[in-house]
Amino acid sequence: MDFNYSDDQRMLWDTLDRFLTDTHDLRQRKNLLHDPAAETAFWRELAELGLIGAAFPEALGGFSSSPADVAVVMDRFGRHLVTQPYLYTAVLCGRLLIEGLPEGLREEEIGAVIAGESHLALAACGTHVLHSPQDTTFTALKDGAGWRLSGRMPVVVNADRADRLIVAARCAGIAGEREGVSLFLIKSAAAGVSRRNFRMIDGFGAAEVALENVPVARENVLGTPDEGCLLLDVAFDHATAAACAEAVGAMEYLIPATAEYARNRVQYEAPLSRFQVLQHKMADMYIQTQTAKSMALVAVMALDGDPIERARMVSAAKSQVGRSGKFVGYQAVQIHGGMGVSEELDIGHHYIRLNIIDRLFGDTSFHLARFGSLWQHRPA
Amino acid sequence: MDMSLGGTVEALRSEFRAFFAESLPVDYAARTLAGGKLTKQEHNHWHSLLRERGWNVPLWPKEYGGPGWGPMERFLWEEESGIAGAPRLNHVSQDLLGPVIIEFGSEAQKRELLPRILSSEDWWCQGFSEPQAGSDLANLQMRAVREGDDYIVTGTKLWTSYAHLANKIFCLVRTSADGPKQAGISFLLIDMEQPGVTVSPIYTLGGMLTVNEVQIEEVRVPVGNLVGEEGGAWDITRFLLGNERLMGAWIGVNMAFARQVRERFEARPVRDAVMARRIAEVETDLLALRYTTYRVLADEASGKAPGPEVSVIKVRGGEIMQALTELLLELGEIESLVHPGTLPEGELPIVPFELQHMAQQYFDRRKLTIYGGSSEVQRNIIARRLLKV
Repeated sequence: MDFNYSDDQRMLWDTLDRFLTDTHDLRQRKNLLHDPAAETAFWRELAELGLIGAAFPEALGGFSSSPADVAVVMDRFGRHLVTQPYLYTAVLCGRLLIEGLPEGLREEEIGAVIAGESHLALAACGTHVLHSPQDTTFTALKDGAGWRLSGRMPVVVNADRADRLIVAARCAGIAGEREGVSLFLIKSAAAGVSRRNFRMIDGFGAAEVALENVPVARENVLGTPDEGCLLLDVAFDHATAAACAEAVGAMEYLIPATAEYARNRVQYEAPLSRFQVLQHKMADMYIQTQTAKSMALVAVMALDGDPIERARMVSAAKSQVGRSGKFVGYQAVQIHGGMGVSEELDIGHHYIRLNIIDRLFGDTSFHLARFGSLWQHRPA
Repeated sequence: MDMSLGGTVEALRSEFRAFFAESLPVDYAARTLAGGKLTKQEHNHWHSLLRERGWNVPLWPKEYGGPGWGPMERFLWEEESGIAGAPRLNHVSQDLLGPVIIEFGSEAQKRELLPRILSSEDWWCQGFSEPQAGSDLANLQMRAVREGDDYIVTGTKLWTSYAHLANKIFCLVRTSADGPKQAGISFLLIDMEQPGVTVSPIYTLGGMLTVNEVQIEEVRVPVGNLVGEEGGAWDITRFLLGNERLMGAWIGVNMAFARQVRERFEARPVRDAVMARRIAEVETDLLALRYTTYRVLADEASGKAPGPEVSVIKVRGGEIMQALTELLLELGEIESLVHPGTLPEGELPIVPFELQHMAQQYFDRRKLTIYGGSSEVQRNIIARRLLKV
């Protein structure tokens, strides 16, 4: 048993941490969110550091030795509040490209992503934060050897920046059925695609996506037609484990930051850190973070294993990390007082992101239910 | 024992409801309930409508232009305003400063200031908290040094609500460093429209602008702007805070949130049992808080002054609103997680209006357990003053 990162991963961790310390404080982050050109340049730098390649196996042009590489990147992104769509482009959609595209096209698409030239967004879940592609609001009609896609989805994260969209559309059956949903890779610039951009409350870009009779060829179907939900299960589990790592990076930062504030802030002639009620709150933050961290690591290690065990462990981790993250973020804000709810400190921004992570790819209720439903399939 | 509020009070409730139904512009109410913004002009318009009915200064006695209500009637007004979604942006002038001037002000101050509040000509903000005086308010440092017939005031106020809309500020200032901290504090009225006063916005989570930093540098304030005695601000402050002590329950606003939660849930095609239970739990929490507040009011009506038990109300009121906004956020799904300031305007809305401000509201409401005496301070009060531990 070994819960530590390898030497190479440790090196990646240090390099990235130094890079983000220099390039991504709260002010620099704000600049990025208001300057598309700066965001593009920053993304290229991440690509040059090899971070995007860390999400792809060597056989496909990447540098990944194990899913833990992605966890290292996400952990540091969580610590430094990086609001760049690594999770969406490289991890979630990247996994769909790896598992779903035919050879040739796959290498071509992944190559552009690794180089930092291509962004992807997944348009799959209707209005649900829960991952329920079976409720997709897009439909696909057969048209010769290919299909035509139509429909509207109000909120698709990263669709503002993406030059490629992976669209889950219903080809057969009725809404709510897992069978009959296919995944299509289309260009955002294709005729019939329209987008209106905005941002989410955590700063991530998003767009409303409307499709009107957008043609798509057979080779642009990811995986087996009608079985898109199965492929999405894998990609969502990878993305969920990555989001857990991100949350842990944030939580491990919030604890010392809060403790430092409490030591320095004097009220009633004493530092806040002398008040036992606050000491216990911070101790609880630590307890929550440690248990969440254990499960976040377990989720990463389960990704390459048995699919049912993968699903169970990812769900166990997500429900733990989701609840712990909200708790830790809330206490950090509360102990920082007014400063905690101000946009001038990073504390509140971390709290927002931790809340969103709790909802991403299935909230606590969803994952507890999924964990429970797999009980009889657990290994002996 | 009798759990009803009594015929006269209930009749007044019906009058309030009829008035809101008839006079409160639907658009103002919809925006207030959804967490959207009203302009200062719109507020003043609403207050002119209230003034015609004689209800724009609910805490004031009749002789100064108020309705002369008792504690129960005032509370009922508060509750029904919240339920109806009536905007209340200038409450600092009407509910906080007005009663202070009536109780402690000089005749000249009453003559000059009260009519300007009644007419919404003056928008006051409250300069209490400072960088080093949050929970520990008595630690404030803004100093006022006497020079002839003036004070020279210098210092910084923080978290000043709606200072960006106000033209005047009342400040707690230090006029003496001797003796107990509380004894050296005075209550001073300051015109903000003069050199030396700088207001800087502080954006809170989700991009909300309600609070500001107010810097005052070497500003000359006539001694006539002192309310009460020099060094006498602590009693005034206690009186002022007492006037809003039951507002921390947020009963009406919480009831409006609870109704939105319930309606949103009932409209779902599939209603899961866990969510149903969570909603019912908060609804019963709110009911318990409402009757706890009524119990304090009933005691007050029979002559018993409310004591530190109002801390129970402050703590629960904030916690319940946080729980309700959390439920609303979850029920709103991904559409409620947008940043409202970034949505393209005009054309067809991407996200329904009633969902656009939900995330912002949820994050903004974290402040409820922090300001006006944090939940930790309230629990200390309960422990020390009620439980004697």
